Amino acid sequence: MKKLILLGLVLTVALALSACGGSDNGRIQITVGMWPQPYLSEDHAMFEEWKRMFEDDYPEYEVIAQPYTYSVDTFFPMAQAGTQPTIFQTWFTEPEKLIRNNFVRSIDDQLAELGWDEHLDPYMRDSLTFDGKLYGVPRDGYGLGLVLNLEILAMVGIVDDWDGDGVYNIYDPEGNPRYPTTFDELGEMSEFISTTMEELYEQNVAGLILLSSNNNGGWQFSNIAWNFGANLQIQDDQGNWVANLDDPAAIEALEWIKEMRWEREALPASASLSYGDWYNYIGTNRAAMAIAGNDALSLPITNFGMDRDNLAFVPMPEGPHGHQYSLFGGTPYMFSSHASDDQVLGALKFLEYMGRSPETSDIAEQSLRVGRITAEAKGMPIIPEITPWINDDYVDLVERIDQQFINVNMDNYQSFYDTIFNIRRNEEPYYSQEMYEILDSVIQQVLTNRNANPSALLSSANNTFQTQYMNNVND
Amino acid sequence: MIASKQKEFLQKNIGGWLIILPSLLLFGFFVWGPLLANVSLSFFHSVGYSREEFVGFDNYREVFNDPVFVKAFFNTLKYTFWSIVIGFFIPILLALVLSEVVHAKGFFRASLFFPNILPGLAVVILWTFLFDPSEGGVFNALLSNFGIGPKPWLNDPGQAIPLIVLTLTWKGAGATTLIYLASIQSIDNTYYEASRIEGASLWQRIRHITLPHLYPLIRMLFILQVINVFQVFYEPLVMTGGGPDNASVSLLQLIYRYAFIQGNAAKAAALGVIVAMMLLILTFGYLKLSKRADNT
Repeated sequence: MKKLILLGLVLTVALALSACGGSDNGRIQITVGMWPQPYLSEDHAMFEEWKRMFEDDYPEYEVIAQPYTYSVDTFFPMAQAGTQPTIFQTWFTEPEKLIRNNFVRSIDDQLAELGWDEHLDPYMRDSLTFDGKLYGVPRDGYGLGLVLNLEILAMVGIVDDWDGDGVYNIYDPEGNPRYPTTFDELGEMSEFISTTMEELYEQNVAGLILLSSNNNGGWQFSNIAWNFGANLQIQDDQGNWVANLDDPAAIEALEWIKEMRWEREALPASASLSYGDWYNYIGTNRAAMAIAGNDALSLPITNFGMDRDNLAFVPMPEGPHGHQYSLFGGTPYMFSSHASDDQVLGALKFLEYMGRSPETSDIAEQSLRVGRITAEAKGMPIIPEITPWINDDYVDLVERIDQQFINVNMDNYQSFYDTIFNIRRNEEPYYSQEMYEILDSVIQQVLTNRNANPSALLSSANNTFQTQYMNNVND
Repeated sequence: MIASKQKEFLQKNIGGWLIILPSLLLFGFFVWGPLLANVSLSFFHSVGYSREEFVGFDNYREVFNDPVFVKAFFNTLKYTFWSIVIGFFIPILLALVLSEVVHAKGFFRASLFFPNILPGLAVVILWTFLFDPSEGGVFNALLSNFGIGPKPWLNDPGQAIPLIVLTLTWKGAGATTLIYLASIQSIDNTYYEASRIEGASLWQRIRHITLPHLYPLIRMLFILQVINVFQVFYEPLVMTGGGPDNASVSLLQLIYRYAFIQGNAAKAAALGVIVAMMLLILTFGYLKLSKRADNT
């Protein structure tokens, strides 16, 4: 009996050990975190097809689906256990934190080996480079702009279907833009919308929704402050980076927000609005305008059933002193710190099969098409992507395919794409998330207290940010 | 001689030890292990959850120097204060009223318990919706019928904590009420009969019979409530995000921010130890006080 138990134990241990082995049949395994969940049947089938084609072409690799939606609560334990996917998609806010905690690895050598490094957009490369090393490749780029709910704008008479094609136009018959191009206009128009919706329809609609919690308030404020002429982090005479949140232009920007809330009464009353709220408010006709990135425009449509023809996207307005910027970044694909060079190389090659590499092969072209066909089937708006790869043949290919699939009236989007490369600006270099958190508090105070003093608030925030974080930068 | 006694003791109790062993192992692995690891982590610089370099009390110093920690600490005291003002007496009162109810007792009991069976997140989202500060918010729309202008509700730094406590109470009071009610119903009815014969009023019956009987339970639930409210987390996280201006951020929410938003596990571990120490001091202080009260 004892022998039997012993034998059983030995067998169990042997089985367990064999299951832990890294490679199967000597093939190099790549786990892919961007894999869609099985219930998303169209996307799932598309990934299965990419896997089949990839494994046919590279029999030394085995692609393993590990559907994972990034969240801060689950990623840390997963990464600590070393089970994070070889390649996964995360948020643009996360790279610095993941690198500091040694959960991801750099990929310079592999990118150079494939010859892709020189094709990467330098702005996006900067946002994923830390201590001179590159830690990821962007899925696509985003720039902040102004989302317009055309249904509300039409209700108050700002826009109309002047050309009679069934879609509202954001330019009048003389070609003048009917959307706000300066912050003064944005203020006036927001107030007009809120007042008119109340008077004509007895509806409580915010002219503009500004976010205020979970670091989103600070994130949006930094772009607004830039457009008023502020620099939130600067180098002093000795070349040290210091906090500059109380820049007079930032104070002016905060005064503008205060005016929007209390004098113009054009913002929502809540001071705890986080990311999901902008597309909730826009998608349910509770706000006429919002600040968001071009990569997120499908959210009010897929989540709240908004008609895609009622959406327009225009550049961030110009500030009172002629400054105009758009906060620019990219949604990154990152690589597990446990991944070997070969695994990283394989994961990068798999991106070609997803149409997310600078390659312009037949497979890449086919994937770009399939991606758009799937998006179309799901009723998503198809607008041009800001590609992270800038080699001419890739840009041409994407543009050519986009032309065939775009399903919105591009007149209502074109001004954004015409200006983004001239006005884009990467986020502030140090502790940006911590800076946003501190700025969130400042925004919340301005939104909840009509007697708040923007100058004093920013001065105090600047002091906190400098002593808590920026002092560490120059150590 | 001693060895044989030990052997005898082991042999006599071996069955008991075997039965308790799995629980001990699990308890050690899932509770004491992580707990001790957390204490140890708080003295190190961490990369991920791994200890990298011993830094003494640096993490603690960093926590104490964080202005948000001071806010979170006083906020947590405010949560405790308001939970006692709003949440502590209501279940006692409800249980007393319910014990006097003659008709439809089951209906009232079920109604009171009903919010308890709702998922916690659903409750806080529902109340956030009701407290919407815009003119279209549910409470503000109701108030406007009486000519009262919109109230800021959770937007007001002074009201955020009491309103969150109100939500907690709405959800949790029913269960506590039932515990008190069960205790009240276990009181021997002859006391009440005798007091009625002696001509005691309702208040006198409550004052001299019910409350003295409930006192040990009240004391126990009091300390449990303080410990629970000290750990308030997801309610402010969902209802206000800790705002406005950190006016409702709690200590546990700050641990979450350190651990997951800032990605600093060691700093979060240090704050975890600080909160545990506070609760230990509170509990010991309370036990000592109640022992003294028992002895007098």
